[in-house]
Amino acid sequence: MPNSKVKASMCLMGLGQLMYGQVGKGLLYLAVLALGIAYFVYRGGADLAGLFTLGTREADTWLGIEGDNSVVMLLMGILAVIALLLLAAVHVSNIRDARETQKLLERGGRPATFREDAKQLLDRKFYKTVLFLPILGVCVFNILPIIFMIAIAFTNYGGSIVPPKLVDWVGLDNFVQITTLSQFAPTFGRILGWNLLWAVCSTALNYFAGLGLALLLNKDCVKGKVFWRSFPILAYAVPGFITLLGFKFMFSYGGPINQLITGAGHRAVGFLDIDAKWIARLIGLGVNAWVSIPSIMLLATGILSNRDMTLMEAARIDGATPWQQFRRITLPFVLFSTTPVLLGQFIGNFNNFGVFYFLRGGLYIDGYFLASDTDLLINWLYNLSISNNYYNIGAAISLVIFLITSLISLVIYTRSASYKEEDTFR
Amino acid sequence: MKKKITALVLSGILSLGMLCGCGGNGQGTGQQGTGQSGEGTGQTGSGQDAGANPGGVDLSNIFSGELEKNVTIRVLENDTAIEQGYFQELIDAFNEKYADYGIVAVDANMDQYSNLADDGPYGYGPDVLYQANDVLMKYVEGKHIYPIPVESLECFSKITENAWNAYKATVNGTQYYMGVPVNVQSSMLYYRKDLLPKDWETTWDKNGNQVPDMVENWNDMYKYSKELVEKDDGHYGYMRSLYDVYFSSGFLFSYGGYVFGDNNTNADDLGFSAGNAEIGANVLLQQAALMNEGCIDDSITVSAYSKLADGSYFATMTTPDVYTLFLKELRLAYQAQGMSEEEAAALAEENLVITEVPRLPASGDLTEENPELIPLKAMGGVNGYAISAYTKAPNACLAFVEFAAGYEMVLRRHEMLGIVPARSDVADVVGGVSEIMYHNLDAGNIVVMPSIRAVEQIWTPGQTFFEDLAKDAFRPEAEKKYKSLEDIKNGLASVDVQIYDAVHTLAGTN
Amino acid sequence: MKIEIFNLGFRCRLRGGMRGIMKASKIADTCVTYIILIAVCFIFFFPCLWLILASFSKSGSIYSFEGFFPSAYSLDTFKTLFTDTAMYNYPRWFRNTLFIAVMSCLVGTFLTILTAYTMSRFQFGARKTMMKTTLLLGMFPSFMGMIAVYIIMTQFGLINNMWGLILIYSANAPMGYLTQKGFFDTIPASIDEAARIDGATNFQVFTRINLPISMPIIVYTALTSFTFPWSDYILPKLLLKEKDLYTVAVGLMSLGDTEFARFAAGAVFIAVPIVILYFCLVKFMVNGMTAGAVKG
Repeated sequence: MPNSKVKASMCLMGLGQLMYGQVGKGLLYLAVLALGIAYFVYRGGADLAGLFTLGTREADTWLGIEGDNSVVMLLMGILAVIALLLLAAVHVSNIRDARETQKLLERGGRPATFREDAKQLLDRKFYKTVLFLPILGVCVFNILPIIFMIAIAFTNYGGSIVPPKLVDWVGLDNFVQITTLSQFAPTFGRILGWNLLWAVCSTALNYFAGLGLALLLNKDCVKGKVFWRSFPILAYAVPGFITLLGFKFMFSYGGPINQLITGAGHRAVGFLDIDAKWIARLIGLGVNAWVSIPSIMLLATGILSNRDMTLMEAARIDGATPWQQFRRITLPFVLFSTTPVLLGQFIGNFNNFGVFYFLRGGLYIDGYFLASDTDLLINWLYNLSISNNYYNIGAAISLVIFLITSLISLVIYTRSASYKEEDTFR
Repeated sequence: MKKKITALVLSGILSLGMLCGCGGNGQGTGQQGTGQSGEGTGQTGSGQDAGANPGGVDLSNIFSGELEKNVTIRVLENDTAIEQGYFQELIDAFNEKYADYGIVAVDANMDQYSNLADDGPYGYGPDVLYQANDVLMKYVEGKHIYPIPVESLECFSKITENAWNAYKATVNGTQYYMGVPVNVQSSMLYYRKDLLPKDWETTWDKNGNQVPDMVENWNDMYKYSKELVEKDDGHYGYMRSLYDVYFSSGFLFSYGGYVFGDNNTNADDLGFSAGNAEIGANVLLQQAALMNEGCIDDSITVSAYSKLADGSYFATMTTPDVYTLFLKELRLAYQAQGMSEEEAAALAEENLVITEVPRLPASGDLTEENPELIPLKAMGGVNGYAISAYTKAPNACLAFVEFAAGYEMVLRRHEMLGIVPARSDVADVVGGVSEIMYHNLDAGNIVVMPSIRAVEQIWTPGQTFFEDLAKDAFRPEAEKKYKSLEDIKNGLASVDVQIYDAVHTLAGTN
Repeated sequence: MKIEIFNLGFRCRLRGGMRGIMKASKIADTCVTYIILIAVCFIFFFPCLWLILASFSKSGSIYSFEGFFPSAYSLDTFKTLFTDTAMYNYPRWFRNTLFIAVMSCLVGTFLTILTAYTMSRFQFGARKTMMKTTLLLGMFPSFMGMIAVYIIMTQFGLINNMWGLILIYSANAPMGYLTQKGFFDTIPASIDEAARIDGATNFQVFTRINLPISMPIIVYTALTSFTFPWSDYILPKLLLKEKDLYTVAVGLMSLGDTEFARFAAGAVFIAVPIVILYFCLVKFMVNGMTAGAVKG
């Protein structure tokens, strides 16, 4: 049963701790509360209200009216909600803390001093100290934008309704619209099919080629590893967009490859032009591999150095062939520690906007609704939403894509050894 | 390659940050690279006097006429103007004149294509902007720029009506002028005089007007190109990347095609296939047959500078503002041949000719002898100054705009940058290309781009079609897609459908 | 565990064997290895070489090349790149980029390693949920979120401020912690336990014991969290409006139409710090780990 001090903490953050004589901690809780209240009085309250109205006064610069900016209000409103949740979380922790102190006393202990608490944060509760900053950062710059986007999917923000015009909540209208669009489903199916194929192929190619390269460079017979390894690094050092533009130029009709072909008396080849469906797809695959393999090689090199060489030694002495050593020892080990990387690659490739945008942007092929046959879902999403400013539709489609990809990867990840048996190699 | 990069990335990735409906112009078509632009006739309603504002906003509330003192105005200028030193001259002259008021104009130090709708509301935008008219007119919907009381400006009567039309907008039933035109942009023909046949005056000047026939009409250009190509030594006549909607759509317009109905205001009515547009597309198809595969993608656009300089190409079509780039390449080519810098510069200036685009055969048949000729209606636009609605000093900004659009500064601008002035008095004095272009704008031969938002959706479908058309010239006979005018018409009709889809299907809930 | 089983399998099946063939096949193996290596290096090097040689092109235009490479070379482009700064101030872009990348790298690496270590070593209630959540967060098609990031930064007044960028890069860095966690998962927990028995706190275990043996992954993290801001285009373009604050990527994109050689020169030079960084760090990467000895 919570005693009066715990109840005091329930009513006012930190009060219970003060009553236990834990002055430092109590004051800290009170300070957090004061900070929270100050924020909500100063702007949080208004922001919270703004989340529902999304603005009531339209700006008109010509008449000198400073109106509401719906988009800013939406964002700040979400921020206020997050702040409220955080405050609630602190409150809960305060109650829990008071309760723990009560239990401790009931067991005959004494309340922890401030110094002891602080010490705990470097030891048993080290994770709390460490994770505080990253979580805060991720909340503001990652979760907030995502929630913002999800919220956008339920508004009419886009087209001609952009600030200074006022945005409104429209419920599920955007989803109704995309599902009732007759041209939508066939294109979606076609692009999704290609997108999955692309994601699987490019992930497999990049991953195994990167791993293979790392292993190759790790071989004892290779002398001057630093030198050999620097070539992929050179490729890695050139920014991706420059690489992509360079390759686009190389494969263009006026580019050096076609110059060589025409110079040899053959007809120029349209590597990336309108009829070049599969050639363009393959080039995309190759170029993407060129861009991604070096970083995977780098990572694999780091991980391989962590291999337990005694095992390899034992296997070698027992006469295992190099292939068997790879199959039975290296691969399971590397797969285990890079499952997240593999998954990250898969997601990254699934949502790889740059490759086909730079290599073969600006085409709408017959049989596709405002897309080309090399476009991935994210490129299509871009065509549909950003280039026409229909942010609401874009957000709605993003949500659909997200549900699909997240389901796939969550299933894979939670079934992987890396997730289930984290201590396999410990 | 570079130009394409810039355009792609600008129109694409940058619009990620676009918070407003005012996107960059020309999605991925390379428009921005050359500063080409569209037109605002779209918003021109009746012929009503834009100055009288019955029921509208009283402009004197914004522009009181009293200059703000000790203010700094940030001016967004075009990169070329800054690079060539014109802008420094402009602000120096302005700052000297207004030193008594303490008004200082400075470089906004921002990307020339930055979007006021993104920056302005948050206080990061410039005070005065020099951009293409279709870009500037997109700021009207959100009232990101102020209407300008142009009647009171010195330049009002000097600038042609068609240029002013590009900046007219109707807001709540009242007409306003949203900017001050400075520079007219459209397609021009560039060619090398020294690559003409030696005896052109006797063999290629049927009308005896001392102008080579091949730069006067497309039929003779076709004939000459054919002659050059058939020698098969890597030389070509007229070359142009055909996928580019900005340059290719003019051929459709000349035969009755249009972008949007009702003078480019009605996004429900698409006209790429209207009239006899397919005849114009067929002209492009015939031209493509005399080029190489480079006309399918952007290869010719980006290589034209050096290919014209090394003599591989005889002529190309592009906008007048890149004249200095062509000149520079040609000068370098001459220098590489061993000429001194002055010699090379003089010879380059003499041999590189920029002139009006040739005329088209009414029949659309480039092989016809002595055809009836019609003018080519090229796409074009007007660049000018506008005043941000987020400025703290509108009157000082107005003073700056008036100063920059004055006779002397525009003349200087022409001298330093080779722009085509929108002021008739300057155009008269400088003559040449400026006069031609000015005349074309007046005569309606420059079809100014629509400035309604839907224009963003014409680029990709149009580009796909023109790319397909150009590719068709290089497909084996059995695989050709455009064998008859009817095939072409169907192709154009599907462009219209795609644009319609892009504009309307997503607008449902709005 | 698993490894032991595999290992036993080997012992049973492969006892005795092919020692005689080994020597000849070893030479063949070496040859094949080198052939593959040369091929791979050529594939990676050729486009780079193209870019490098293009940057030394005398004419400046890419279309005056014969085939792949320029016909005449000079150092002029590099000279203009660093001296002609009126319009395109490359040295300044370079300094800006260096500042942003170094700061983001320091903060970002620190946060990522800490996060990964914590997630690998501590058992607490929300851990698995957090792991799944971060995985999912990374999956959101991100470019729509740019709008939100831009507005957040306008509200914080961090537009036209390099620290704004550093803040975003550092804050987003821990999102990629799963890779590093994968590495920490392979470090035997027995080391930690031994240290804790000796009376070390968790903080000490981390700094004194785990950090030194984690050099490879720290180097990898540092390299990636340096490279990303170094070559990113979108965020600086979005948040840095003033030309004086441009990073190299943004600046290069603003180059004029016929400045190809300068573009190539800028693109080549942008790669230099990363290559240098690699050569400085590579020895930590390959030799840093001695966990095998501990385990044995």
